[in-house]
Amino acid sequence: MCASSAKLTATGYAVADWAEGVEAYFERGWTDGLPVVPATEEAVRRFLAAAGREPGDVVITEPVRRRTITAEKVAINAVLAGCLAEYMPVILAALDAMGDPAFTLHGAITSTGGSATLVVVNGPIRQRLGFNSSTNVFGPGWRANATVGRAIRLITLNCLGAQPGVLDKSTQGHPGKYSYCIAESEEENPWEPLHVERGFARTASTVTVFAAEAPHNVLSHYGETADAILVALGDTMASLGSFSPGQSFVVLAPEHVKILARDGWTKSRIKAELYARARRTRADLKRGGKLAGAVEPDDEDRWVHRGNGPDDIHVVVAGGGAGGHSAFIPSWSRYRNSLAVTREVR
Amino acid sequence: MTLKILDPTIAADHAESTMAKRIADLDGKVLGLLSNSKVNGDHLLELVRARLASRYRIERVVTMTKSSASRVADAAMLDALARACDVVVTAIGD
Repeated sequence: MCASSAKLTATGYAVADWAEGVEAYFERGWTDGLPVVPATEEAVRRFLAAAGREPGDVVITEPVRRRTITAEKVAINAVLAGCLAEYMPVILAALDAMGDPAFTLHGAITSTGGSATLVVVNGPIRQRLGFNSSTNVFGPGWRANATVGRAIRLITLNCLGAQPGVLDKSTQGHPGKYSYCIAESEEENPWEPLHVERGFARTASTVTVFAAEAPHNVLSHYGETADAILVALGDTMASLGSFSPGQSFVVLAPEHVKILARDGWTKSRIKAELYARARRTRADLKRGGKLAGAVEPDDEDRWVHRGNGPDDIHVVVAGGGAGGHSAFIPSWSRYRNSLAVTREVR
Repeated sequence: MTLKILDPTIAADHAESTMAKRIADLDGKVLGLLSNSKVNGDHLLELVRARLASRYRIERVVTMTKSSASRVADAAMLDALARACDVVVTAIGD
């Protein structure tokens, strides 16, 4: 458990006590607007040791603004976020995924589109670290979800320069920009969980990152059939506001999952059905300011689907046992600029 | 008893680079135009091209567009511009 003796390179500032340290981070503009836990050398060394990393290890490079983030800076921000040292491998895996060119990191964190990085945790690490996949899954109450998501945001702010009004030009943003981390309820999932579908062993622990809008609630209580749920989901996914060629996450509530499974629906069939339903005519897209130009006569009969195909719809299971509330989470960007990326937690 | 708290921020990497040799005018030169692919970036570049063309006898114009405004121009595109052009103007529009 002894940390490497390699020297930390971050500049240190002397403060009189803990309370002054909290205020010092505010004064320097190094928080997300909430108080942070002051990062001491002792804490940072403990976090690095838990991750088995040297301070100077390069975790991620961002080519557009030429930023190189080391394990030391990740650890400092994880301390600030209120993490436990044991969360470090999850944060490191999420950052590694965000560094994949398919994620388009710079665009995703600076665009007027105002996305946040959705982090989905799969595998045994969910229980080991106490990630919530159940009641209030997108809400507060669980340290692992709250602080891992917050650490990603603080790194975005402090290491990638995506401060509001500086590089982050989000027109509105959304509350997920404070923290946006869930676990999948694999125990309530009768199909393959997300990470198995994406090529990992069921026993592996993974994180999947997705540059995402806020969750859109899909309330369907009274149909009590798979068809009713798919009608409501498909209609939400076809709504003009978030319509794009991008990917989607559909987070199914356990109550909806039970009905879908009872009626014989597989995950691949659900995806195909939602892809078929999530479509609009070119005329609608033009009338709604989603496509440029005047409506042409044949635009009324030309259909455009959300995404490139059924596999652009990522279906996961999460949420409390009671309630017919699933969620549709659209991608960032009017185009297809960022794709979901999965990495194993090591 | 004081406490030492650590800085969580980083600055951009500043790799060593040198300025390309400046040229005196654009007469007989090849002008490159690189758009970031956003709406109106092309209009801005066209205005620049027209202004330069009114002042100089530009030999030829090479226009390229990045695949995405959110990504860096790929190496092949930059190499092609470097090979073909004497000077390149890039614009961000939205």
